[in-house]
Amino acid sequence: MDFTERSTRAYRTKQLYTKEELERREALCVHEQPAFCSAACPLKLDAREFARLCAEGDFTAARAMLERITPFPIILACGCGAPCSSSCRLGELPGGEGLNFPALERAAMRLGAPKTGRGMLKFKKKKTAAVFGSELFTLVTAAELARKSYPTVFYVREKDARELMLNCAPFLSGGDLDAEADRLNGMDLEIRYSAGLTPELFSAERGKYDLLCVSREYLQLVSPGEEPDPVTLLCPSIGALARCGGESGVLAALYDARRAGVSADRLAQGMDPATMRGEEGAVESRLYTDLSSAAPSRREPESAEGYGPEEAKAEAARCIQCECVECLKGCAYLRHFNKFPRILTREIYNNAGIIMGDHMMNRALNSCALCGQCTVTCPNGYDMTEICLSARENMVATGKMSLAVHEFALYDQIFSNGEAFLCRPQPGYEKCRYVFFPGCQTAAIAPEVVMRAYSDLCSRLDGGVALLLGCCGAISRWAGRTELTTETDELLRSSLEGLGNPEIIAGCPTCSVTLRNISLSPVRGIWDVLLKTGLPETASYAGTCASLHDSCGARGDEHTQQAVRELARRLGFELADGEWSGDRSPCCGYGGLVSYANPPVASELARSCLNGPPEQPQLVYCMACRDRLAREGARSVHLLELVYGVSASETPGISEKRRNRLYLKQSLLRGIWGEDVKNEPLGFRLDITDEARALMEQRMVLDTDVQRVMKAYLESGEAVLENDSGLLVTRARIGNVTFWVKFTEDADGYTVHRVYSHRMTIETR
Amino acid sequence: MAEEKSYYVIDPEGKLTCHKCGVPLVKANAVFGYLDNAFPVELPVCPKCGFVYVPEELAMGKVLSVEKVLEDK
Repeated sequence: MDFTERSTRAYRTKQLYTKEELERREALCVHEQPAFCSAACPLKLDAREFARLCAEGDFTAARAMLERITPFPIILACGCGAPCSSSCRLGELPGGEGLNFPALERAAMRLGAPKTGRGMLKFKKKKTAAVFGSELFTLVTAAELARKSYPTVFYVREKDARELMLNCAPFLSGGDLDAEADRLNGMDLEIRYSAGLTPELFSAERGKYDLLCVSREYLQLVSPGEEPDPVTLLCPSIGALARCGGESGVLAALYDARRAGVSADRLAQGMDPATMRGEEGAVESRLYTDLSSAAPSRREPESAEGYGPEEAKAEAARCIQCECVECLKGCAYLRHFNKFPRILTREIYNNAGIIMGDHMMNRALNSCALCGQCTVTCPNGYDMTEICLSARENMVATGKMSLAVHEFALYDQIFSNGEAFLCRPQPGYEKCRYVFFPGCQTAAIAPEVVMRAYSDLCSRLDGGVALLLGCCGAISRWAGRTELTTETDELLRSSLEGLGNPEIIAGCPTCSVTLRNISLSPVRGIWDVLLKTGLPETASYAGTCASLHDSCGARGDEHTQQAVRELARRLGFELADGEWSGDRSPCCGYGGLVSYANPPVASELARSCLNGPPEQPQLVYCMACRDRLAREGARSVHLLELVYGVSASETPGISEKRRNRLYLKQSLLRGIWGEDVKNEPLGFRLDITDEARALMEQRMVLDTDVQRVMKAYLESGEAVLENDSGLLVTRARIGNVTFWVKFTEDADGYTVHRVYSHRMTIETR
Repeated sequence: MAEEKSYYVIDPEGKLTCHKCGVPLVKANAVFGYLDNAFPVELPVCPKCGFVYVPEELAMGKVLSVEKVLEDK
């Protein structure tokens, strides 16, 4: 199978999900849910942010938050029943107490500087309002309407602001009472003191105003027995806003005043006050808070004078700033892009819908390891794997996926299932009871291990053990290339069928999963076999402590996780599992082809896997993990290396990985099946300098690519001489890439000095 | 007709010789193509055999960055 480049001029898109499917996925992420304290507040004080500001000692900003949510913040601070404090998660800890928000509010009002200036110039609204009767609700409603720039007249029986305040908020102490009375006097509100609140006054005045509000007491006078609508607070017969009966409490009064303000706005605009009101009142939060590391603590005692700055800071510092970051804690990919799954999903969804223009999320959706860790760590099981994989498949199907990102890996799979593919029954058997499937990375990184393992299995298992060297198709599946995946599935199915559908002994946990999904034969890991047959004579025993990195292929597979632990114990290791062991284990960066699409993220992923002290061996049971972790400087050891007493290649290069697979195939053909394999000689000497070798590794150029370029040169003689350096430069187009080689030539061959490539084609015009 | 714009110009300045033809490379018109997009350029070309030379700095610099931009289109 060959891959041809797409065209950016193919204008096709396919919706990734329906709107409902998208929302169903997004709804699982609770990161943006309000904190429990904020959710409990009907006035929608962002209590978590308020606590943060107080903890930082920024009482002025904290005070400004209170002044924004209510016209009388001291009334709120002194009279509020504080549902925020009772819903604070700290109160759930044994011996712990919820944060003392009212005391912090009082401290913020006292310690924070008042707002200076009059703010933005506001134009008075044309509609006018009148408020009749004094109670907390009408007082706050009058202030709310004045704040909304309605010219408002407030009719009260009291003689002055202080008396009015005392009647409305009798719980205020002297200083607070004066402060709120001063605040009232400073408002752009016309107060008619000593008004005779008779029904006649209402009849005479109501016609002069567009918006009306009455106290509960006055409502009984002007319209006895009438109850306002519980949502809009509107009394239909008199067209005035009022509180429902039976309501009590300071917070409820402030909240009702807020609702009355919303109704007033709707009425002033001539619209139905019952509709389009937005979200009102307290809500249920679906936020998840991890309390496992939170220590219980008690409230800072509040003296009669209230908190001083240090006490307030100390009390606020108890706040654990509830937020759900469970996925980010474990996933280096999400941390790298610093996005939570909900927003990432929306952006990936939008990315798939772009017909023309830049697909800004391609890199992000190609950088997910598709390892399924988030599904385990998220309290709601968010599945970024499914989202990123379906987005990749979608982009491949619509011709929007860049081939450059995964082309090397895809050709690696084709190589594994072509040139390096081998499917043979054990000599002496036509059909076998077992087949050993080591996996392409095991063959590429540790060919000697595969050889010894196969010999061991043949000698200790009855019924014949066939060998199948190839790739399970995980690469094309991760790349979203369903066509190649189907082709691979068919190759493997027919190969297994030819062997009599034997039981598969997999050497790689990812292969186990893939093969389980595509084949009809049972699959088990080589570790299961080794636990049953016992360790071979080649096994080396350690007797030390080690940490074990679980493969993402074994996520959700407790049987495998336990089996490899038992195998490690039999090899003499003492294991200590940590927070990120088992199902919560991160990916090494090979999964999802991240190491091809985004090497820095792959490195971050690999580093996040190192869960033990650096001097301890890092045991693994997937050869890709072994290689990825070794590249980050870990002493990673595959269990099979210890079982068979032979080491894997130490961070082999891209060409070495291919050579290893061919070497393995040819050695086995020679050694076990007695077939002689002749390699076509190159026909000339080809030396590659260390500098060129490093460039080839970095630029993903294989030895075979360089050989083909030099063969093309040998045939055509086409090259350019750089007069300054004396180097010859030649090139050849191989597939979708033009490879350039800078070399010197002597009698028997060539020395390669530099190598580079580009995907663009070049023609003369 | 207006002369076609060149996105990139490299003059060989006599520093490059075609190994096959033995003549110096000259500045000549060429076109880079990728994913159905074309970019006219002027590069060192052999006047006899037409070998177009793409220097390493160009391939790993400008060409690579344009490739990456187009790949996300």
